[in-house]
Amino acid sequence: MNVKIGELSFLEQLAGRFKIPVPDFVVEPVAQSVVRTKLDQWESGIVKPDVLIGKRGKAGVIRTVTDYHIAVRMLKQVAATEVSEQQPRTAYMVQAVPADLEVFSAITYNSRLCGPSLTLSLSGGVDIEAVADSEKETVSVQIFRGLNAYQASEALTKLGLEGQVNAKLARCLVSQWDMFISTGMFSCEINPWRVTRSGEVYACDFKASFDENNRKARDLGIQWPEYPSDESTFEEEMRAWSAASYRGQAHVSELGGRKILPMLFGGGASTIIVETLAQLGGDPIFLSDFGGNPPYERMKTTAAICFKHCLQRAALLLILGGKANNTQIDVTFAAIADALQEWSDENGPVSIPVVIGRGGPGLVQGFAYMKKTLDNIGMPYVFFGPDTPITMVAAYATELAEYSLEAKGGDGP
Amino acid sequence: MKALSLENLLKKDDRVAVSNVTGRESMKVSVVSQLYCGNIVGGWALGKSGQTISIPGAQDIEVFGQFEDLINALPEDRKPNKIIVYSPPDAVYGDVKEVVEHGKPYVETIFVITEHVSVEVTAKLKRLCDIEGIDIVGCNTLGTINVHDAVRVGAVGGETPAETFKPGSACIISNSGNMVNTIASYLRSAGLGISHGISTGKDILILTPLRDLLELAQRDDRTKMMVLYVEPGGTYEQEALQWLQEQETAKPLLVYVAGSFADSMDISLGHAGAVVEGNVTSAAAKMALFDDYFAQPVFEVGEQKELTSRLAETRKGIRVNTLHDLVPAAATLMAAMEIERDFIPKSPLSLKPWIVGLGEFAQRLPPELVPHVGPIDEPYGSLIKQHVKSGLGRTPARQNMRNASHASSNDGITPRVFGYSLVRQMEEHSFVEAMLLSWLGFPVQEAFESKLVEMCLIASLTNGPGTISALGAKLSAAAGNDPNTAMMTTLGTIGTIHGGNGRKAAKMLIDVFEGSELTDPYSRENAPDLDELVRRHVVKFKKTKRAAKEAGMEYAKIPCLGHPVFNTERVNYDPRERALTAYMDRQELYNVFFDFYHRLARELLNQQATTKVHAVNVDAAITCVLMGIAWPLLVDNKISVQRAADLPFLTFALGRVAGGASEYLDHRESGTAMDMRIPVSECRFLGRRQD
Repeated sequence: MNVKIGELSFLEQLAGRFKIPVPDFVVEPVAQSVVRTKLDQWESGIVKPDVLIGKRGKAGVIRTVTDYHIAVRMLKQVAATEVSEQQPRTAYMVQAVPADLEVFSAITYNSRLCGPSLTLSLSGGVDIEAVADSEKETVSVQIFRGLNAYQASEALTKLGLEGQVNAKLARCLVSQWDMFISTGMFSCEINPWRVTRSGEVYACDFKASFDENNRKARDLGIQWPEYPSDESTFEEEMRAWSAASYRGQAHVSELGGRKILPMLFGGGASTIIVETLAQLGGDPIFLSDFGGNPPYERMKTTAAICFKHCLQRAALLLILGGKANNTQIDVTFAAIADALQEWSDENGPVSIPVVIGRGGPGLVQGFAYMKKTLDNIGMPYVFFGPDTPITMVAAYATELAEYSLEAKGGDGP
Repeated sequence: MKALSLENLLKKDDRVAVSNVTGRESMKVSVVSQLYCGNIVGGWALGKSGQTISIPGAQDIEVFGQFEDLINALPEDRKPNKIIVYSPPDAVYGDVKEVVEHGKPYVETIFVITEHVSVEVTAKLKRLCDIEGIDIVGCNTLGTINVHDAVRVGAVGGETPAETFKPGSACIISNSGNMVNTIASYLRSAGLGISHGISTGKDILILTPLRDLLELAQRDDRTKMMVLYVEPGGTYEQEALQWLQEQETAKPLLVYVAGSFADSMDISLGHAGAVVEGNVTSAAAKMALFDDYFAQPVFEVGEQKELTSRLAETRKGIRVNTLHDLVPAAATLMAAMEIERDFIPKSPLSLKPWIVGLGEFAQRLPPELVPHVGPIDEPYGSLIKQHVKSGLGRTPARQNMRNASHASSNDGITPRVFGYSLVRQMEEHSFVEAMLLSWLGFPVQEAFESKLVEMCLIASLTNGPGTISALGAKLSAAAGNDPNTAMMTTLGTIGTIHGGNGRKAAKMLIDVFEGSELTDPYSRENAPDLDELVRRHVVKFKKTKRAAKEAGMEYAKIPCLGHPVFNTERVNYDPRERALTAYMDRQELYNVFFDFYHRLARELLNQQATTKVHAVNVDAAITCVLMGIAWPLLVDNKISVQRAADLPFLTFALGRVAGGASEYLDHRESGTAMDMRIPVSECRFLGRRQD
C-alpha cells in the first residue's frame, strides 16, 4: 500500500529540506504561552486536524483564530473531533497567509503521457476535478531532465501569470519537482500556493503519496506517522503479512459480506469472481488475490489468517482461480488444506460446503490432497477443473451458499 | 511504435534472450518455452556465466554473465531481437539500459515481466526505449503468444500453451495475464481460435497502450476481431476509442470491463494500476465509454437474434457484463460480421464437475445443484483415477527441498528427527524405534512392532554366502576395496528380483485391502472377510495368467511366494517367516497380512493355480510386519502409499548391508587376492570367432 502524507508531515519533514516556503506552525500539544506568542506575531492562525482526508474545510474542521484562548481550546477540540469517521492524529495551527492569488499545482505520473506531468491552475483551494480543462495547464516533464524553471514559467505564463510572481512560483515548482523525484513520490499536490500582496509565495496545503516500489521512498530515513485507519484487524494482519515477502500475493480487502469466504488467485480472476459474486448476491466477505506462486509456508499462513478471521462466519468456502501459469497448485492446495485441518483441530468441526475451481501445474495432486483433508474434516465439496468457466463456478457457489446459510440457521433461498 | 503489425511483436524465427535466466520463475518458464517453440538463444544472470540450462528434447540455454557478453558471443544469425526481463525490480533499469546500449542494432522489443517496478523506473524505461526506437511491453506483462506461428515469450499459456491456444482469428488484449489464457479457453466453445494473445500488464503506466496494440491488430491479416479484458484505472481505453473513431473502418471489439463492484469502495484491486482516480477511470466510466462507441447496450443472453442485425449495422462490437457471456456474444458478433468459425467447438461452456462429495448436504439441495461427474478430458481423467480416487495415504505437496527437510533438523543445539530430539531417542529408545521414527515421521505405537522389525533385520542379515548380495561384498573384498565400497556393492546387487520383491508385495497388499475398510491390522475380530478377498485375488490372478499365456507373454507373478531353497515339500515354509509367526503366536499377536498370505498360498493350490503350497518367504514376512505398522498411518493419510511400499525393501536392504559387511570382513581377512575371479577355463564364449 502506498504511504500517504498530509500537510503536517510536509511542514515538519519535507518543506525545509527542499526549501519550499511554508507558513510558520505549531503542533498540539503546545504550551499556551507559545500559542500566545505565535498569534501575537502572526495576527491570525488557522487550526487544522492532522488527518488524511481531503475537503477538511467543507467538513467544517478548519478554524481561523485570532484569540489565543480560543486557539488553545480549538486545538484541543479539533484534535478530538472525528473527520469523516477518521480520528485525527493531532491538530496544528499554521500562520494565516492573506493572499489575493491562489495557485494549484500537482505533479503525478500521467498514463496518457507515460511519464510525469505538472498540472497547474489558478483556481487554487478548490477540488481540481471541479476545474474546467480550459483553466488547467498540464505539461509533460521529461523524466531524465526533470522540471526546469523555464518550463514551469512557460506553463504559468499560459495561465496568465507574469513578472516576479511568475519567477518566484516557477522556482517553487522546481523545488516541488525536486522533492517529488528525490523522495520517490507517486503524486504530490500543493493546493494552494498562496501569493501575498508583497509577492511572497507560501505552500498552504499539501498531500502526497509515495510509490512503495520506489527504493528512494523506502530509504528516506523518515518514519512517517501512522494514521488511524478504518482497516479491519483482518486487513491489518494480512497487510503486515503481505509486506513480509514479495513471494506470492497476500492481498485482501474486506467487502462487508457474510456468505462466501473467497480465496482467489490472480489479479484479473479475483476481480472477475468477486464481481460475479457481488452481481448475483454471493455476498463475498472480502476480495483477495493469493496468486503469484506462493511457497507452502507463505500460503499456509495466508490461509490461516483468512480462516482465523472469517471461517466461523462464512456459509461457503470458495477456492477459485483461472488456469495458473506459474502457481504450483499442489503446493498452494496442500498449504490451504493443512491450514484448514489445523483450524478445524483447534476450533472444532466445520461443515460448510467447499467449492473449488482451478487449473495449472500440479492440479490433480492438489485436488487429491484437498479432497483427503475435506473428507477428514467432513466438509462437503465440489471440485471443478479449468474446463469450467470461473464465473460459472462463482454462480454455482452463490446458489449453494444460500442453502448453506439456511443450514446454518440464517435466511435461506 | 517500431512494430507495424502484431507479427512484429513476436513471430516465428524471432530470437529471444532472457535476463536473470537462472531465477526460479524465469528458468521454469524458459524451459517450457524452449520445449514449446525453442526460440530462446541464450540468457544472462550476474555471476552465473558458463552455466547451461539443460533441456532434454530441446536446445539447451547457454547462460552468460552479462547481456554484453551474450550479444558478443552469439553469431550474427542468432543475436537476439526479443528480450524478456525477469530481473528483480531494482535491477530492471540497469538490465534494460544494458540491452539498449549493446543490443541497439538487433533488439526490437523488450518484454518486462518483473512485478513491483517503481513508476519512476517504468517512466525511465519508456523514455530510454523511445529514444532508441525499441518497443517495450510491460511492466508486469505475462508476455505474448503468436498462436499461428506457435511461438511465445513469457508464460502465456502456462505449462501447456498448445493445449490452451488453438490458432484462429481473435486477438486477445488483456490487462491480466491469466485472463489471456482464460478467455482463450472460453472462446474455444464459440469455435473461435486465437491469432495473438497479449498481456499488457496493469501497472500504473502501461508502456504499450491499448491504442498502439489496436493499431497493430488492425493491420494483422489473421486477426478479424479483438477481445479486450479491461480493468479500472488509466485513460488508455479513452485514447484507444478516440483513435478508433477516427478510422474509416475498424475491426470489431468484444469487451469485458471488470471491477465495477469496487467503483464506490476505496479498495485496491489485484493489479497496481487498477486504481480509480477521478470519475473517468472507473469501471463504470469505461463501460459507458465502450457502450457509447458501440452504440449498443451491453450484451443480453436471449437477444442474439435482433442483436445480430444491429451489430451487422454498427459493425463495431459489443460489451459483455459476465465473462462467460463472451461465448454467446462472440458467436453473435461472428454471425453479424460474417466471420467464419475457426473450428467446430468440442463442447459448450457449462459446469463440468470433476469431483463431487456433497454427502448429507446434498439432501438439502434441489437436484439441479447436485452436479454429476461426467467424462473428464484427458490427461486429467486418468490422473484423477490415479491420484484422487484412492482414499489411502497422504499426497505430499512438492516444494523446493534443496535446503529443507521434514526428516531432520539441527538448530545448533539439538539434532532432531521429525522434530524429536535425537539425544532423547539415544537415551530412551532402541535403534529400531528411532529408525522407524525417521522412516515414518511418527513414533511406533506398539512395543512389539519394533521387536518384529528387529527380527526382520536379523532375518535379512544373510541367507548364506551364495546369495548375490553376499557375492557382491566378497567380490569387493577380493578387489581390495574399502568397507564402504563393499557395502555399496552389497546394496548394488540387490534389486527388484533379489530383495526388492517386498515393494511389489506391499503394493499388492495395498491393492487388496484398500477398499476393505480395514483400520486395525492387528485385530482378528475386525478383519475383513479374508477368504473372499483371497478367492477373488486368486481368480483374478488365474485369469491374468491364462490371458498372458495365450498371448505368449510374461505374466505378473504373486510376489514373495516361494523360495529357491525352501520348495521341496508339498507344503513349504521359510524358516525365517516361521520364526516371526511363532513369536507372534507366543505373544498372542495377530497380523491380518500374515493371515492373508498364508490363506493365499493355500488357495492357490486349492484353485489349482499351483501344484504345491509355496512358502510365504522372508520378503513377504518383512512386508507383512512393516505393512502392519504403516497401515493405520495410511488410513489416517499421514504417510504416502509410496513411502509405505518402500518400507519392506528398506528394511531388507539395511539388514543385508550389515550382512554384506560381515562377508567383506571375513573375506578380506581370510581370502586370497583375486580369488573371486572365474578361471578362464570355466568361462564360455557363445559367439563365433570373426578373424
